[in-house]
Amino acid sequence: MSPPEAAVRARGLGKRFGPVVALDAVDLDVPAGATLAVLGPNGAGKSTLLRLLAGLARPSLGSLCVGSQRESRPAARGRVGYVGHATFLYPALSARENLVFAARLYGVADPAARAGALLAANGLTSVADRRAGSFSRGMAQRLAIARGLVHDPAVVLLDEPFAGLDRTSAARLADALRRLHAEGRTLVLVTHELGVASALADLAIVLERGRIVHRAAGAELEAATLDAAYARAVEPAA
Amino acid sequence: MNVLLAVLWKDLLSEWRSRDRAVAMLLFSLLVVVIFHFSLPPASPDEARTLAPGLLWVATVFAALLGLGRAFALELENDALSGLALAPADRGWIFLGKALANAVLIFAVQLVTAAALGLAFDVPLAEHAGRLAALLALGALGLAGAGTLFGAVAVRTRFRELVLPLLLLPLLVPVVVAGVRATATLLETGALAVEPLRLLLVTDAVFWIGSYVLFEFVLDE
Repeated sequence: MSPPEAAVRARGLGKRFGPVVALDAVDLDVPAGATLAVLGPNGAGKSTLLRLLAGLARPSLGSLCVGSQRESRPAARGRVGYVGHATFLYPALSARENLVFAARLYGVADPAARAGALLAANGLTSVADRRAGSFSRGMAQRLAIARGLVHDPAVVLLDEPFAGLDRTSAARLADALRRLHAEGRTLVLVTHELGVASALADLAIVLERGRIVHRAAGAELEAATLDAAYARAVEPAA
Repeated sequence: MNVLLAVLWKDLLSEWRSRDRAVAMLLFSLLVVVIFHFSLPPASPDEARTLAPGLLWVATVFAALLGLGRAFALELENDALSGLALAPADRGWIFLGKALANAVLIFAVQLVTAAALGLAFDVPLAEHAGRLAALLALGALGLAGAGTLFGAVAVRTRFRELVLPLLLLPLLVPVVVAGVRATATLLETGALAVEPLRLLLVTDAVFWIGSYVLFEFVLDE
């Protein structure tokens, strides 16, 4: 059996902001259909890595391929669904209008029908015509995830999607991520919660000061093992 | 084209719901007209005709600056600008959508300001309504073309309210000069002068083509 095709491939990937090195010589392969958890302390470069994968930033060094190497940058952006720290929602527009707008941006064939289907799938039909600005954090997060999936992307990038969610919303989100995984999508999930990485990921990397300092797969993702490895990698004994 | 229409629809709908930019721009330009009406009352119809073109363009250029500064503030909330930048299309289409929405808003403010100026200074602008509207539309396109690009540049800077006028005003000199000259000729002769019109057209073309090309890089981090 041939190895699964890599949905994301980075070689020597680096990103500098002036003198600050946000990401340094990152090599990464994420097989199609796998879930990768990106762990690390604040300022380690996790969000920078995700924004590079999304096509929001250009690498300063190295190469990056999401999907086919022959694709243009706009086409590569179309393969990716991105759910960031922020929701990307317009508060003055209703939930439905936000999704219709996103669907039009991505050239979805029937934006209204797609928006309706996503609202139903995320339990937002009853509030579809309410302005997004009036939504609770949990509802806005569900709408943001629906927005990220509006074009049915093969690769879904999520930047701390569990931040600020209550237990019910977090459980609902975990179920949604398992569904996306079961559908064969490739997920890259930035999180501070090792438990989430253990429960959802097939692979994990730990970033520290822009470099990968630990990689885990299979049995190494068991909670206690990952916790110990994270502590060794990020907080080495003095 | 989908992206252009989507952005245009979203910007105009958001502005229709909030009306904050339109109201601020209108109030500003009308205040300028009122202030000049009392501080520089024209002694004769000829003097009014001399003052009116400069007043109209200065009032609307500064009102446009006010609105253009806010155009990307809308995109900062919830980091919606990143959401736009993710669209799988040439980012020039995003520029075209936003710039057209800005041009519509600026043009509407120009029309109301021109009407108010005509009344306040007793200048027969209404006699040349069609040609004046065409001239103002060309001016609005020029202001929106450069203003949208530099609004996107300024929005990521710390002192964006300061940066935008400093970057933009020098570039707008040809638009203002051509607009004032063409309006003055229109009031004097009832015809549109070719030379300022040509300058306005060339400036518009340079702004729109240049901004379309550069917008890809402006949205990159």
